[in-house]
Amino acid sequence: MQLYSPLSTTPKRKAVRAPALGSIDGLRIGILENGKLNAEEMLNEVAALFVQHHGCTVRTLASKKNASAPAPSNTLVQVAQEVDFLITGLGD
Amino acid sequence: MVLCTTPFEVTARNIARVLGLPDYPFLTVQHPIGSCTLPELKARAQVAYKQALPILMQA
Amino acid sequence: MSTTASFRTHEVPDDLLAAIDYCYDQGWTDGLPVVPPVVDRVKAMLAADSRPADTVIARHPATGLDLSLHAAAVNAVMAGCLPEYFPVVVAAFEAMDKPDFNFHGSTASTGGSAPLVIVSGPYADEIGMNADVNLFGPGNRANGTIGRATRLILRNVFQMLPGISDKSTQGNPGKYSFCIAERARGNPWPPLCEAQGYPKGTSSVTVYAGGGFCNVENHGGNTPEQILSSVADAMANYGCITLGQAVVILAPEHMQIVAGAGWTREKAQAYLFTQAKRSVDGMKSVGKYRDREYDTQHGEGAHALAEAGFMHRGLTPDDILITMGGGDAGGHSCFIPSWSRGRGSIMQHSAIRAPDK
Repeated sequence: MQLYSPLSTTPKRKAVRAPALGSIDGLRIGILENGKLNAEEMLNEVAALFVQHHGCTVRTLASKKNASAPAPSNTLVQVAQEVDFLITGLGD
Repeated sequence: MVLCTTPFEVTARNIARVLGLPDYPFLTVQHPIGSCTLPELKARAQVAYKQALPILMQA
Repeated sequence: MSTTASFRTHEVPDDLLAAIDYCYDQGWTDGLPVVPPVVDRVKAMLAADSRPADTVIARHPATGLDLSLHAAAVNAVMAGCLPEYFPVVVAAFEAMDKPDFNFHGSTASTGGSAPLVIVSGPYADEIGMNADVNLFGPGNRANGTIGRATRLILRNVFQMLPGISDKSTQGNPGKYSFCIAERARGNPWPPLCEAQGYPKGTSSVTVYAGGGFCNVENHGGNTPEQILSSVADAMANYGCITLGQAVVILAPEHMQIVAGAGWTREKAQAYLFTQAKRSVDGMKSVGKYRDREYDTQHGEGAHALAEAGFMHRGLTPDDILITMGGGDAGGHSCFIPSWSRGRGSIMQHSAIRAPDK
């Protein structure tokens, strides 16, 4: 017998990672926090280590209004223009 | 760089798979974060930083 | 596996029990056996909606996955739905697709909510739903399978997999099925579909991210204040009180006392909002007080009934959906708390497109 698949009919996505960074020194870091308790603090502490060890700068701080929704595309577009890499969190 | 805590590792792997990057590397630290003191956050940040370096430098 | 007109099929041996096992092996079930989604049954299910099978009825922003009518029909067959139930499943997802419902967050969260599906209007009776004894189950095919179809879709289509992308700390029995009909028989208040503004004769589905189920027992109270105060106390228990919404289903025995004294739905909502509160000191004593939340409730735009020095459940009386359901006997109403810590999901509704007769 033939059974229909119950999965989504949306075609599978393929994505590629951003290219590796040649050097971290002096790069601009963006932080996108999801509003959960201590999220901003945690990400700031990670960023601070890049500032301390590599002279990076923290260029952008953006917040997601809704922790469980993807960041709005206008947030991502804006952030991507201003930073070399982004640090964000997932979950609690 | 995506940071998560250990119970959410499977979640991160699943969303990476669905979004088309099944081998996407992310940073994992001890759970929880929400109730951590500042010294505890700093310790977790050290762990995350050490994981981040090779990921940022690798293709 | 083959592809037929972009809808994938799986070839399995012509043996029903083997097909049930196949569905288990593929990870398509909620832990209970499903009805194998054979082609003819899915086509019969799809016939209950006149739109093309590839019509998208809900989108998942987190993954970019879409829910087509076809995929909804497959999962409805698996849940055990009859074709006449399908318009309710479709309406449930059209409601859940509204951004303010946030079906991803409410499903993925450690908070462990499940969408409560409330059907209001004549369509509930037409398809034999239960609004009476054992309202929340078990026993009725329509209630049980419509709720189950909703869950199977979240799992199979949107990949909200328990333990992986559904991180509910303790789960929730409603994550198997959580669907009721609003009781029309003997209900003194206007039905929800009418209160929601739909034309007479149009039925509606309301979806609400429900965090659990709290039975509110009161067999001695005989005034509206006594009955509703016991409900308000459940709404404000320290484990549940947030700025979120509430669903209250009054048993007919309790409704007789409340509406029998002339109380309207609006008066009951206002009373519940006024009473469902905890002192700021009390909230601080259990570590649940947040300045930001107090300011939200008592700042600009605060409702007139919000009392200084207290945290109420919700922001306004309209945050409380209250109606009637259950059997004629028993002083047992219920309160369904909202998802988790705040207003991450706001209840939504949608009209049911009943098939042309």
